[in-house]
Amino acid sequence: MTILEVNNLKKVYTTRFGGSHVQALSNVSFSVEQGEYVAIMGESGSGKTTLLNILASLDKPTSGEVLLKGERLSTIKEKEISAFRRENLGFVFQDFNLLDTFSLQDNIFLPLVLSGKSYEEMSRRLQPIARKLGIGDILAKYPYEVSGGQKQRCAVARALITSPQLILADEPTGSLDSQAAEGLLRLFKEINQDGQTLLMVTHSVKAASHAKRVLFIKDGEVFHQLYKAGMSDEAMYQKISDTLTTMATGGARHE
Amino acid sequence: MSRFFYAKLAATNLKKNAQTYLPYILTCIGTVMMYYIMVFLSKNEGLGNMAGGSDMQTILSLGSYVIAIFATIFLFYTHSFLIKRRKKEFGLFNILGMEKKHISKVLMFETLYVAVISLGAGLLGGILFSKLIFMVLLKILHFEVPLGFSVSGPALAAVPLLFTGIFLLTLLNTLRQIHLAKPVELLKGGQTGEKEPKTKWPLVMIGTLSLGGGYYISLTTQSPLAALAQFFIAVILVMVGTYCLFTAGSIAVLKLLRRNKGYYYQTRHFTAVAGMMYRMKQNAVGLANICIMATAVLVMVSTTVSLYIGMEDVLRTRYPQNIMITTPVPAHQSAEGLQTAVHEVLAQHRLEGKDMLDYRYAAFAGNQEGDTVITDESKMSNASSSVRQFYVIPLEDYNRLTNRTASLGDNEIMIYSSRNVYKEDTLTVLNRTFTVKERLDSFFENSLDRVLIMGNYYIVVKDIAVVKAMEKAQAEENGYDPSGYQYYLGFDLDANEADISAVYQDIRTAVGSDYPDSRIESPVAAKASFFAIYGGLFFLGIFLGALFIMATVLIIYYKQVSEGYDDKARFEIMQKVGMSREEVKDSIRSQVLTVFFLPLVTAGIHIAFAFPIITKLLAVLNLTNVGLFAWCTAGTILVFALFYAIVYRLTAKVYYRIVSWGTSA
Ligand SMILES: Nc1ncnc2c1ncn2[C@@H]1O[C@H](COP(=O)(O)OP(=O)(O)O)[C@@H](O)[C@H]1O
Ligand SMILES: [Mg+2]
Repeated sequence: MTILEVNNLKKVYTTRFGGSHVQALSNVSFSVEQGEYVAIMGESGSGKTTLLNILASLDKPTSGEVLLKGERLSTIKEKEISAFRRENLGFVFQDFNLLDTFSLQDNIFLPLVLSGKSYEEMSRRLQPIARKLGIGDILAKYPYEVSGGQKQRCAVARALITSPQLILADEPTGSLDSQAAEGLLRLFKEINQDGQTLLMVTHSVKAASHAKRVLFIKDGEVFHQLYKAGMSDEAMYQKISDTLTTMATGGARHE
Repeated sequence: MSRFFYAKLAATNLKKNAQTYLPYILTCIGTVMMYYIMVFLSKNEGLGNMAGGSDMQTILSLGSYVIAIFATIFLFYTHSFLIKRRKKEFGLFNILGMEKKHISKVLMFETLYVAVISLGAGLLGGILFSKLIFMVLLKILHFEVPLGFSVSGPALAAVPLLFTGIFLLTLLNTLRQIHLAKPVELLKGGQTGEKEPKTKWPLVMIGTLSLGGGYYISLTTQSPLAALAQFFIAVILVMVGTYCLFTAGSIAVLKLLRRNKGYYYQTRHFTAVAGMMYRMKQNAVGLANICIMATAVLVMVSTTVSLYIGMEDVLRTRYPQNIMITTPVPAHQSAEGLQTAVHEVLAQHRLEGKDMLDYRYAAFAGNQEGDTVITDESKMSNASSSVRQFYVIPLEDYNRLTNRTASLGDNEIMIYSSRNVYKEDTLTVLNRTFTVKERLDSFFENSLDRVLIMGNYYIVVKDIAVVKAMEKAQAEENGYDPSGYQYYLGFDLDANEADISAVYQDIRTAVGSDYPDSRIESPVAAKASFFAIYGGLFFLGIFLGALFIMATVLIIYYKQVSEGYDDKARFEIMQKVGMSREEVKDSIRSQVLTVFFLPLVTAGIHIAFAFPIITKLLAVLNLTNVGLFAWCTAGTILVFALFYAIVYRLTAKVYYRIVSWGTSA
């Protein structure tokens, strides 16, 4: 079943005074099936964050459309959009985006509190997730009291707790040391094996090599894609590196 | 690197940080101006030579000390706030290869610029405005406005002295902070994740008790005499209470709310409680400062305004008749000579005394213990609430003034009090026991008890012989020279102030030789000194009120700006996690509003509780018009709230400009 469908997405940023235009996305189309683990790769400035913000309905495209489970994002009313986002999407960001004013547990509860869930239900949902992510004994702490890896686990827990259709991750390993990054990627794989659909944006070859499918964007378009199929992480790593080299040297485009 | 380089860098820094430095420099200029003007007025010779001017200059120099102390604390506080925001910048300089020594040099130049600009513009403004303020003051005091323009030498000396000191102090404090910090810490700057505050229950207890104690004192103090001392105790208690409760109390309450899971985990309360906790942690002391400052402004302005507006009332309470003569009459003399002299003066002026009132009496104070009065001053306690003032009046005068024909036996008395009730059947005083024949429920109008502080008894005795005997016994007991009795003569005049003043002067000369101990009073004569004192207080109240308001505005502005930077990040995260833009805006608006108006509301509560004790203090100053004071207080609060709201709107604009970010939907 198709969870996400993106058709001919285009995004042009206009500066405040209408002077210069920046074309971040020119024509992006792809789709994501239920249970997939997709990585989107591209250089810094290639429009990855822009794409993700549009998928997350945090920003609107200049043209083109996004369908989540067949529903057009553009038809959702402004008032319902945050509830829609809360119930269907989970987010993991490079800089964690945890609030210093809340304990880690309350950070994780935040989306559920916004949906009006009771404390009992929230704790019941949190327990298995906390066990899986190994954050059970730091829940009472505050973000500034724990390491980057622990923060990112909590951010993952916050994304998972609403049982979203799709988790969107923007450079989730970007602020982590290699060991913590490795741990997080393993975690993503496990979550995906449990059936969670994941879409990750990254410029790290290592991170991308864990995904089942990798999309490459360049000049605001999907340039190429790779399926992992039965390949090992190492083989996939090699293949991605090769593709990037080809892209950098302006090699022919093949799909 | 050349010295020129540092000088230039310092200038660039100030320009770059204009958003925070401009208000600071403007405040420095304002403070310099106000200090100059206050010293100018308190040392102005022309003012000192006017009637009552020296009294007023005492009040004004008190004001200049207040400004000096306040300026030091306040500028120091705001400057440390500026530096906190700039630590990151210093860290960056440090990383880029500037040594702390070099940073210090830049800072020295910056301070120098700020000092030169502030002193230059402030003195210039002060000199220009001093004439205007001087005229306003003279207008308030009903003095003639002299021509001419002057620059005050003492003020020109005092101002640079004080402010150079203050700027040096701020510089030293900054250098100390820079030298103590490691570059990494500098880089993190203001945004080091502060620890979750602990609930300090002892502080909450102390705060609650202090505040309760302060309120209790205000509500229960009855005697105006005690009010003055008690008032200061109450002020200190309320200040301690405010600080403790703003810092520890707010956190305790929020933590209790958070512990209540059913309450805390509701959409509306969740972000509000956590947000308030964060804000209180950062701002509690600043908010307590604002609250206390607001309370001070409100009390100061409302009391001085009502005293000034109520001055005619005050004069009338203090001097119920146009001409009032009180004379001790020696045992061998009578008061007739005085009456004749007064009538002669009136005849010369072709005036007639209206509502002529005269009576003989003896007055003394004592501690009432049941039906016994202790008059021996060595055994009396002044602080005790049982202090009573006794006025003994012969029956003859009482009957004459009330048109009665009462009669009394040797040891019989009639008793009246305007402030207490005498419940006993007998009265033992000065070795004599009297039987109370009648408790009076009214008495003739008199001007005996004008100070309105202590409890009082008017005692009517059989004849003047008893009055004399009591005066004598009282004097002997305390080792004074006995006089026969006191004599009062007072009347109103249907004449203008100048004529009354002339009569007053003539009576002084006419009576002075035969009755050298007479006290001759007239509201007309007292008016100038009343204007000097109450007008001076009024002026000071408004002046300091303006200064405090300026300080409040600045603190609020800085709070809004700094919170704006912190909130920007949180604002974004909340939206990403699924809060709508409107929800976030509402939640932040309500928190900012709470933080903003908490001090004002608390100040209002303080004022409400302070009201009883302040009315008693005003009674000491002869203002008994509680209604007038109530109106002035309400008016002051209203004006202040209005001002506060305007400041809120202006700073909120800056705030929203900071927090709102580009990617609009
Ligand atoms: N709010 C914005 N306004 C204007 N230009 C933007 C904005 N956000 C991103 N861009 C531009 O769009 C392009 C893509 O940015 P981004 O999506 O952040 O790339 P990536 O995440 O792949 O590094 C860049 O050239 C960036 O400068
Ligand atoms: Mg990006």
